Amino acid sequence: MEEIINKAVKTKGLFNELYIEVRKDDFKEACIYLYEKKRAILRLMFATDEREIDAAFKIYTVFSVPGTDKFYIIVLPLKDDLIFPSITPIIPAAHWYEREIRDMFGLTPKGHPDLRRLVLHDSFPCNSFPLRKDWSISEPELKEWGKGLVQKEPYNFMKVEGEGIYEIPVGPVHAGIIEPGHFRFSAVGETIFFLEPRLFYTHKGTEKHFESMSFFNGVKLAERISGTSSFSHSAAYCMAVERMTGIEITEKAKAVRTLLLELERLYNHIGDIGNMCAGTGLAVGYAGGAVIKEKLMQLNERLTGSRYLRGMNEIGGVHKDIFIQADDILKTINEVTKEYKDFMKLLLGTVSHIERLENTGKLSKDIAVKLGVTGVAARASGINDDIRKAHLHLLYDKLDFEAHTMARGDVFARMMVRAEEAECSISMINALLENRYKGELVAGIKEIPPCSSALGYTETPRGSVFYWVMSDKNGRPLRVKLRSPSYCNWPSVPFAVHGNIVPDFPLCNKSFNLSYSGCDM
Amino acid sequence: MLKGILKNILNKKPVIPFLGGVKIPPEEAVKIADLHKKIDSVFSRSLRIRQVDAGSCNACEWECTALTNPVYDIQRFGIDFVASPRHADVLLVTGPVSRQMEFAIKKTYLATPEPRLIVACGDCAVDGGIYKGSYAVTNGVSNVIPVDFYIQGCPPNPTQIILGIKELIEHLKAKV
Repeated sequence: MEEIINKAVKTKGLFNELYIEVRKDDFKEACIYLYEKKRAILRLMFATDEREIDAAFKIYTVFSVPGTDKFYIIVLPLKDDLIFPSITPIIPAAHWYEREIRDMFGLTPKGHPDLRRLVLHDSFPCNSFPLRKDWSISEPELKEWGKGLVQKEPYNFMKVEGEGIYEIPVGPVHAGIIEPGHFRFSAVGETIFFLEPRLFYTHKGTEKHFESMSFFNGVKLAERISGTSSFSHSAAYCMAVERMTGIEITEKAKAVRTLLLELERLYNHIGDIGNMCAGTGLAVGYAGGAVIKEKLMQLNERLTGSRYLRGMNEIGGVHKDIFIQADDILKTINEVTKEYKDFMKLLLGTVSHIERLENTGKLSKDIAVKLGVTGVAARASGINDDIRKAHLHLLYDKLDFEAHTMARGDVFARMMVRAEEAECSISMINALLENRYKGELVAGIKEIPPCSSALGYTETPRGSVFYWVMSDKNGRPLRVKLRSPSYCNWPSVPFAVHGNIVPDFPLCNKSFNLSYSGCDM
Repeated sequence: MLKGILKNILNKKPVIPFLGGVKIPPEEAVKIADLHKKIDSVFSRSLRIRQVDAGSCNACEWECTALTNPVYDIQRFGIDFVASPRHADVLLVTGPVSRQMEFAIKKTYLATPEPRLIVACGDCAVDGGIYKGSYAVTNGVSNVIPVDFYIQGCPPNPTQIILGIKELIEHLKAKV
């Protein structure tokens, strides 16, 4: 590690974050050193427009080394020359991040193998970069963007050619009650040879929108980025702002957050296992999962007033002490546990269902590592990575749990990882309810310090979520970067479905259960 | 539950009560039971909804999905979600309509046969909600296609969506 630090222009430490500012020539070398020598995982990569403070754009590359709690953040300032060396050829996990930086900031990754647009679609004006501070767009340009008729920077889908290959375009509007996205299959007969997803239809300019509101109001927006991970998103966002401000939340607030995170995981995992049954046509399983999920969502509503656990988090703590309803939680969880066990028995005893899951949608460990896959999908492919364990936060250091992994990487593995984690969540909820926790609900709120930054993170039901916040000279948001788990996992779906039949695609897709809105931001 | 169904069959009562566990106030339950008659008379027992996501956070979609679960079981009213706008009476749009979905929403609207009803479901669909003012959204469905009815809530829970549909039908009946 010292080699990099010695070469650094400057370093700055904050909690478990170490910022290492490097020169352009050393940037690639530093990233490769961490990736190859230290086996570090690329957690997120983003740019900021700090021209007002430091007269430069900056690229931040956040790595974490397995087995340690530290985040190594390589910072590259770009002053006049807006080109930076691409790390994608060596670290494939960076490929979407770099394309996004090019779209939103106009900084070009030199050496990137695929420089098509990612976030912005064809009819968005050329040379217009939404996340720059001095950016503006005219009304006619916005209208043209919405109409989508003029192709200003055409997007060329990858073409597969050869005898017997044909294309199936699907979306963006799908047949089910799901989110929009375009998929282009190149199939040979029924077998998928290649799949190219075109996403970002639900791009809502979230990161720019964060900059227009105060840090305190941002909590509401964080809750509405991915519907079923509302609580995890807002918890990670609050954690980032609290760390930046230096607020230490009380044990009670930590306990409430941990409990709600696990309740969110539980309803999602059981709902997802039930949804997979819709992919195999097992109607009784689908209905069974939906009923258990509904019970948990009604518990959520009784506890927090929202079925999606919204409105609970605020900067510095939580709004309500849900431990006063401990009896209700215990009663519902006991009931649900019983039903859930019967439900799993039914699924595992249904051969026609299990046969469809086994060996379908295989994602190899090698590809999962290269693409930086996270969450259930990573653990089902044998990667032992869980932010709750890797970077202890909230009350996870006091709870006894294991990150469940399976090596086979197919749909069945993803179901079983969810099943084991659901049981684990139940025991964690029970353990949390046994103790009493001290402290106020909300810690004293301090003023937001100018020009400071911090990371916030947690494990959503889908995988790790990261927030990085930075304040400007007046203590308002200069940049809020969010990275949802779906953003990391989408690129791995084409690899998982390769060689499967087209009718199995919905099943593979459901086994990943990725959020479009969380990915598209 | 079985007893309840048997009783309903004997009394020729068409509505099955909500499964245990759902607590809704009795007045609302009466309103929901009323919905069945309305759909019978206005839509000849068949109201088909096409749900389209125009950039929502996915919470509204899950509430629509919950409507089809055994607890709410919306099919018993003769309402169902269909796969194509061509089969739909109602287009239920969620989300603030992101710019990149605008074109697709217009096309879906044109693919729905007339007479069609458009419902904007959720706070985002009503006026952009929390995303109001962002460069990448159009601040509500009514800025893109004509809207007949609004259902508020972030997200509206399944009961609110059912009640919203009922109110929509009442408006329609008043017009007919």
